[in-house]
Amino acid sequence: MKLTFNWLMELVEFPDAAGRGSFGPEELAERLTHAGLEVEAVQPLADDAGAEVVEVRGVQPHPDADRLSVCEIHDDGHPLRIVCGAPNVRAGMKTAFLRVGSVLPSGQAIERRPIRGVASEGMLCSEKELGLSDDHRGIMELPGDAPAGVSLQDYLGLNDWMVEVSVTPNRGDCLSVLGLAREIAALTGGRLRAPAIPAHLRDHPPTIPVAVEILDPDLCPRYSARLIHGLRPAPAPPWLRFRLEACGIRSINHIVDVTNYVMLETGQPLHAFDAQSIASRRIVVRTAGESSTLTTLDGSERALHPDDLLICDGDIPAALAGVMGGAGSEVTDETESVLLESAHFDPLTIRRTAKRMGMHTEASHRFERGVDPEGTRYAMDRAVALWEEMGEARVVEGFADVYPGARRPPDITLRYASVKRALGVDLAPERIRGIIESLGIELKRSSEQDLVACPPSFRFDLTREADIVEELARIHGYDNIPATLPAVRMGAGQGDALLRWMRKTRSLLVTAGLSEVVTLPFCSPDMNRTFPGLWAGEGKAVRVTNPLRQETDEMRLSLLPGLVENLHDHAERRNESSMIFELNKVFSLAGGGGFTERINVAGLIRGRRPRRGMKVESRDFTFADMKGIVEDLLEGAGCADSRWTAEDAPSVLHPGRFASVAGGDGQLGHVGEISPRVREELDLPPCFLFELDFEAIVHYARPDFRVRPIPRFPSVERDLAIVVTADFPGQTVIDWVKRLDQALIERVNIFDEYTGAPISEGKKSLAYKVFYRSPERTLTDHEVNAVHEDLTRRLCAEFDATLR
Amino acid sequence: MIDNLEKLHEEVTGRLERCASEEEIEQIRIDYLGRKGGKLTALMRGLRELPADQRPRAGQELNRRRGEIEGLLETRLDDLRRNRGRPMDQGPRLDVTLPGNRVERGRVHPLTRVTDEIIDVFTGMGFEIARGPDVEDDYHNFEALNIPRDHPARDMQDTFFVSDDHVLRTHTSPVQIRIMEQRRPPLQIIAPGAVYRHDDDATHSPVFHQVEGFMVDHDISFGDLKGVLTLFLEQIFQDEVRVRFRPSFFPFTEPSAEVDIGCILCRGARDAGNCRVCRGSGWLEILGSGMIDPNVFGFVGYDAEAFSGFAFGMGVERIAMLKYGMDDIRLFFQNDIRFLRQFPP
Ligand SMILES: [Zn+2]
Repeated sequence: MKLTFNWLMELVEFPDAAGRGSFGPEELAERLTHAGLEVEAVQPLADDAGAEVVEVRGVQPHPDADRLSVCEIHDDGHPLRIVCGAPNVRAGMKTAFLRVGSVLPSGQAIERRPIRGVASEGMLCSEKELGLSDDHRGIMELPGDAPAGVSLQDYLGLNDWMVEVSVTPNRGDCLSVLGLAREIAALTGGRLRAPAIPAHLRDHPPTIPVAVEILDPDLCPRYSARLIHGLRPAPAPPWLRFRLEACGIRSINHIVDVTNYVMLETGQPLHAFDAQSIASRRIVVRTAGESSTLTTLDGSERALHPDDLLICDGDIPAALAGVMGGAGSEVTDETESVLLESAHFDPLTIRRTAKRMGMHTEASHRFERGVDPEGTRYAMDRAVALWEEMGEARVVEGFADVYPGARRPPDITLRYASVKRALGVDLAPERIRGIIESLGIELKRSSEQDLVACPPSFRFDLTREADIVEELARIHGYDNIPATLPAVRMGAGQGDALLRWMRKTRSLLVTAGLSEVVTLPFCSPDMNRTFPGLWAGEGKAVRVTNPLRQETDEMRLSLLPGLVENLHDHAERRNESSMIFELNKVFSLAGGGGFTERINVAGLIRGRRPRRGMKVESRDFTFADMKGIVEDLLEGAGCADSRWTAEDAPSVLHPGRFASVAGGDGQLGHVGEISPRVREELDLPPCFLFELDFEAIVHYARPDFRVRPIPRFPSVERDLAIVVTADFPGQTVIDWVKRLDQALIERVNIFDEYTGAPISEGKKSLAYKVFYRSPERTLTDHEVNAVHEDLTRRLCAEFDATLR
Repeated sequence: MIDNLEKLHEEVTGRLERCASEEEIEQIRIDYLGRKGGKLTALMRGLRELPADQRPRAGQELNRRRGEIEGLLETRLDDLRRNRGRPMDQGPRLDVTLPGNRVERGRVHPLTRVTDEIIDVFTGMGFEIARGPDVEDDYHNFEALNIPRDHPARDMQDTFFVSDDHVLRTHTSPVQIRIMEQRRPPLQIIAPGAVYRHDDDATHSPVFHQVEGFMVDHDISFGDLKGVLTLFLEQIFQDEVRVRFRPSFFPFTEPSAEVDIGCILCRGARDAGNCRVCRGSGWLEILGSGMIDPNVFGFVGYDAEAFSGFAFGMGVERIAMLKYGMDDIRLFFQNDIRFLRQFPP
């Protein structure tokens, strides 16, 4: 909330350490911030241009210009001649004057110079020219009683600072200047100085000028009202106007302005009805029920919910309680008397209505956070007193005050031991009692071990022992609570397997040249359809009901959209290569209305493998490069026997250049070149992608292994090249040899693939290296040749292959 | 003969100066001291032909020279072996300022770097790691954290909804609830993860990352909260960091504290009015924290009389921005390689 420094200082008095009885705005900010009321800004209200209040003594037409006048003012008894072009200048008015030598906020200097032949010895100014408002209709109109010769800045109360305090939702009582003044008093040991209410208002006999009926006392525990006659809308005095505007509230007329001013001052929202429009003279507070609409004073017709609370003129809705008045009972230029409402409403009811209607007003903001039910009369009387000061207002005998929902604040027991336990510091009972009393909390009893306290009516947030402990910590000062280190009871849980695998995976991918990206998980339905991810069956996307951007209202099913999105960046495309990966969550709807999220890892490579150094070969990426990275990743995770197939082609990958990889008992993911169709659709360069189910990898990973003895005898190698059909998967041979379980065959590698002459069309040649070894002896050539020949023969027969 | 000796000595010195390998030194040894054709050896043999009275002196002189040459050879060999020799005669020297051959490495995302640093500090203090879902139910995200429906505290966090009673978690605090529902104290846990707020500008991203932490045991106090968080901040910002705790409000903690550190740019200098990092206040909000509210213990069935604890949450982006001097949060999610590559691998 915004308020001004001087306003706050008017309402509290305290001796500070230096006996000054006040402090500057910066120190105020510091003190409030340290008490949990964070000051977000402190700004001087206006730069003093040096303007003065003057009276215009005489006005003559300018001899040479139709629109200009030549005015006479008195400067300390000496007449000065000023040329002025304002339409509203007239003899006898009070306005703002800048003398020669001054400088306007715009930077324009006031000089003594002839205007169309008449010398002007200064300038009469508009509010806009002085930087006070946007008003440029004419020169400033000051009240007739404004004292000529004084500084305008002083007269308008602009030697002041706007202070913006961020009030947390639990401290509704601090949404007012008085509330903050109370805090200052507690913090400094000072005293509150609330504006006094004149006796004739205070001690009025309780005759009732208007009938008030509350149909639902839970929703409206208290309703106070007064009737004021002779109150016609007029401009508010400048000091009030500028104070309001400094606090971010537009000045309208003195009727509305005073209700707003008192709301800022006391925290109690007030509402002024045009009394004539409340024809029945009977206020009924009830829920909307059957009533269907109400036009609020912002001009919109609002559909009502049966639970909305209304203020009615008899049967006719006149205002949306605690949120906004109705257009029909608004104060207008014709208003002559006012019915002033000062009521207390249920926070939840107000909040629901305000939310439903999308209205957030100064009143609803306060009612939602809790307003002091004991404060309705004070606020109402304070407003009347201000109107009376301003002129002809005649308050009608008596007031209405219906208070069916009086609430008794709870008695709270505070054990001194609890203070020590929660804060870790020993506060002396005298200190505890001192703080409690400084906050206006009533001390009912106290003993050696505990005390009983009863918070004031405006502190809704204090209901439990812990709430009082918090207040003690706050006022004692967090700085005065020593920092300690707790003893940690050891547990075995500090190692975290998932974190370890994530770190390892990142490290492997980074070593392979890929950089990690973090993308936002929001995705368009189109992209989700194109990249359905690894979900078994058809993954159904989670939809965000209130997305930031309508076109990306789903949660990603796959990490790939985020990665390919990166290729749309022009700078990225100018690079010779892209190598990125993401390790993050993907989301899907689960059966039965639930939600599933899993961690995937996905990568993208494009262009040429980057190398650093000179004369280092760099070549275009191939499928094998992408597969190699995934192999590294799986090997790093200890996935010993992953299986690669060209089955289950995902639609995003090229149907002839992709692979699926499985491990353990399930699919792990896919690797391949992006499909030409998707490329074209999304306008992407060629690239290779992979996406794997990271949780499945971790599940399947084997962190432990046993060391095998190092072979004692050398191995013997034999090469073997066969010609097979072009679509023959080379791994088949390796798997087949493994199944043969020939004791002397240690392992088989593929080391070459070849197509082209002299191999005939539709065929290819595959070259294998077979390693023979015995654990017991060095094998002889003779021995190996026999086994190898047998293997070759059986292999050719098995796979219908010919030797090359 | 003495003259001969002198000449030999000069020869050896000259050749040694030019030689650059052990083989060459060995050759010199063979040429002069070799048992068969060594020049000095030949002179030794010649002793016999000298008159007997000259023999002792000449013998002495020969032995001295021999010792000298042996010494020279040895020294030169040592020099060579210690690689202190003259530049090789063969070919020009390498230009060692040319770049080495390297495989280009990728980079870990800065948010990962910082999250890992935070995790390491806390695991080092004995905290363990927990995780929770990003799609969270209303109960865990709000209700059990003492933020009832229709409470103004809900306005503190603009929420993304995915159904009537499920949201994208607005903070990592629901992990506290999930852990406490399943386990009993003592607990000291951190929970890193993504969180979501309906917000998008230079200082707010709709997705950002938090590390939540909490500790519950008998007699954990506000003083302990101050101690643990101060220690953490000293570790993460390394050099002497000023830390201040000031009262604030979070529905799930009481008392609550906002934790600030002294501005790392202007260090709170008096003339820092225009500091772009702290906007002149000299302080930077870095953590939200507090003592776990007894109501929260009520929701998870802990006895608030028996246990107490503190909880805290911090924004990873915020800490990363302060550590690396950044002022636009969106850089983290644009993944411009020119940004990512600034961080060492
Ligand atoms: Zn700073």
